[in-house]
Amino acid sequence: MSEPGEILYEVRNLSKRYGAVVALDDVSMFVRAGEVVGLVGDNGAGKSTLVKCLSGAHQPSSGQVLLEGVERHWHSPHDAIEAGVETLYQDSGLAPHLSVSANVFLGREELKPGILGRMGFLAQKSMDTRAHEDLERVGIAVPASGRSVSQLSGGQRQAVAIGRAVAWASKVIILDEPTNHLGARQAREVLQVMRSAKQQGLGVIFISHTLPHVLEVTDRVVVLRLGRVVRDAPTSEFDAESLLGTITGLNAT
Amino acid sequence: MTQTDTHVAQAAGTQVTEAPSRAKTLFSNQQFLLFLVWVLMVIGFSLINHIFFSVGVAENVLADWAPLVLIALGELVVIIGGGIDLSVGAIVGFSGVISAFTMKSLHGSGVSGPATLVVGIAVCVLVGLLVGLVNSLLINYAKLVPFIATLVTLGACSGLALVFTKGAPVMGGPPEAIKLAPAWLGPFSGPVLVVLLVVAVLWLFVHKARFGRYTFAIGSNSFAARAAGINVKRHIMRIYMLSGLLAGLAGFFFYIRLGSGAPTSGLGNELDAIAAVVIGGAALTGGVGRVSGTVLGALILTTVTSGLIISGVDPQWKRVVVAGLIAIAATLQALRKREGAAA
Repeated sequence: MSEPGEILYEVRNLSKRYGAVVALDDVSMFVRAGEVVGLVGDNGAGKSTLVKCLSGAHQPSSGQVLLEGVERHWHSPHDAIEAGVETLYQDSGLAPHLSVSANVFLGREELKPGILGRMGFLAQKSMDTRAHEDLERVGIAVPASGRSVSQLSGGQRQAVAIGRAVAWASKVIILDEPTNHLGARQAREVLQVMRSAKQQGLGVIFISHTLPHVLEVTDRVVVLRLGRVVRDAPTSEFDAESLLGTITGLNAT
Repeated sequence: MTQTDTHVAQAAGTQVTEAPSRAKTLFSNQQFLLFLVWVLMVIGFSLINHIFFSVGVAENVLADWAPLVLIALGELVVIIGGGIDLSVGAIVGFSGVISAFTMKSLHGSGVSGPATLVVGIAVCVLVGLLVGLVNSLLINYAKLVPFIATLVTLGACSGLALVFTKGAPVMGGPPEAIKLAPAWLGPFSGPVLVVLLVVAVLWLFVHKARFGRYTFAIGSNSFAARAAGINVKRHIMRIYMLSGLLAGLAGFFFYIRLGSGAPTSGLGNELDAIAAVVIGGAALTGGVGRVSGTVLGALILTTVTSGLIISGVDPQWKRVVVAGLIAIAATLQALRKREGAAA
């Protein structure tokens, strides 16, 4: 297992206001290459807002976003994806009417060579094959690339969503509640996919309410409460009780 | 890793589903069913009155079908993308009127007939594109839902067409326009051949190209489409401009048929277009639809209209029959959806 390396993705003094509501207040956090960082907090702590700022879906009101030490301004998720930052959103990451391979390649379709490709025609067969290979490489097996996602079970859908994110991520992968709605065994496999992403040198940000998973897979935990970072420490400094206490603010940190 | 693979495969519940028999596949194919319905209709109307089975009637059916397919295909793309376009009928009348005024003034100042017609087509298409652009701006930036946005342009376009013309058709265009309408190649007139070309091109772009992929993705889950890096606003603009373009082209078809620009020529066409799309198996919730289904849906609609007239039934029954067809198509789709959810 590779040791965590240099700082890969970082936010400094990030704030996000919606009108009078302050969702994020002076938040600073980072993830290193080959590191899994857990991002935890109660409902309304600002996790989702932070994820949206990290993934380019929202623009912060103030503060900096840095990828490999260079300040970046994401105007849309497209910018972040182009730069190698992939995000798995809670629940709604797939288009159910499209096939597995269409979802894996959504937004970066492979086109036919030559003039047909320039007119926008899709290389469907090649995408079907590659989608299957990519998902397998990540450690996920799904029945058939051509099947519609609406025909898959909840676990299979989540597998496709995670597979897609890991297959495309070249630097950072952000997973928002990836183990939601999954059985114990499927959740194990998701944790395994995270470990292998880490071994490949990706920076992994793992957002979850399931504290045992967080304690098991992360190297470091960042705790948000009411829009602020209240704790940023190696996972080894927490146990289930103290982590819960830090999240709820019921014990002194 | 190999071990992980098998685990994930099991965890994900991998199962091999057996291929359904060929006959079953054929009958669960909505396009095939639609075709069957259409064939039965033709046989039925022909039995009632043998005149129905003639080239003359086919010409009439296709002449009605051609502009309807144009409008319905635009509507189909909008509906696959999760929207609705109520303005297409108004665009037909509005673009026809504006184009008629332009051609009247060109013809009056001695410009040649063919050149005038080319400008006439261009004006129709431009008016359609412009209204489509306005629709997309209202949706993307004024944040109106598509139903309201296109209701606004429906009202504006049909109202302006009446204001500009004071309700009377605009005549005085080049006489060459009428010559474009007659049939040649049997039942296939110039407009029908143009429509067949449009159908082929749209089939390719909707089902084989990135344009269609993005449209289905946005209609299926626009959040996922945006998260995947698709420029959703730009694509929605393209969708409504395409719908406007096709409606504008249909406006020119009506001009040719009538020999004038009538402000009321597209009245209610949006409902026929939506009916054709729904009968063709598309879902108003977005993400589902096929070009072939819409083409057949439009053919069934126009066949019913002609068939009722030839059978001596009051053609006003058409609306009732169409309503019944929509009900059947929508019910089939709801049943299929439940079946899909259970699988």
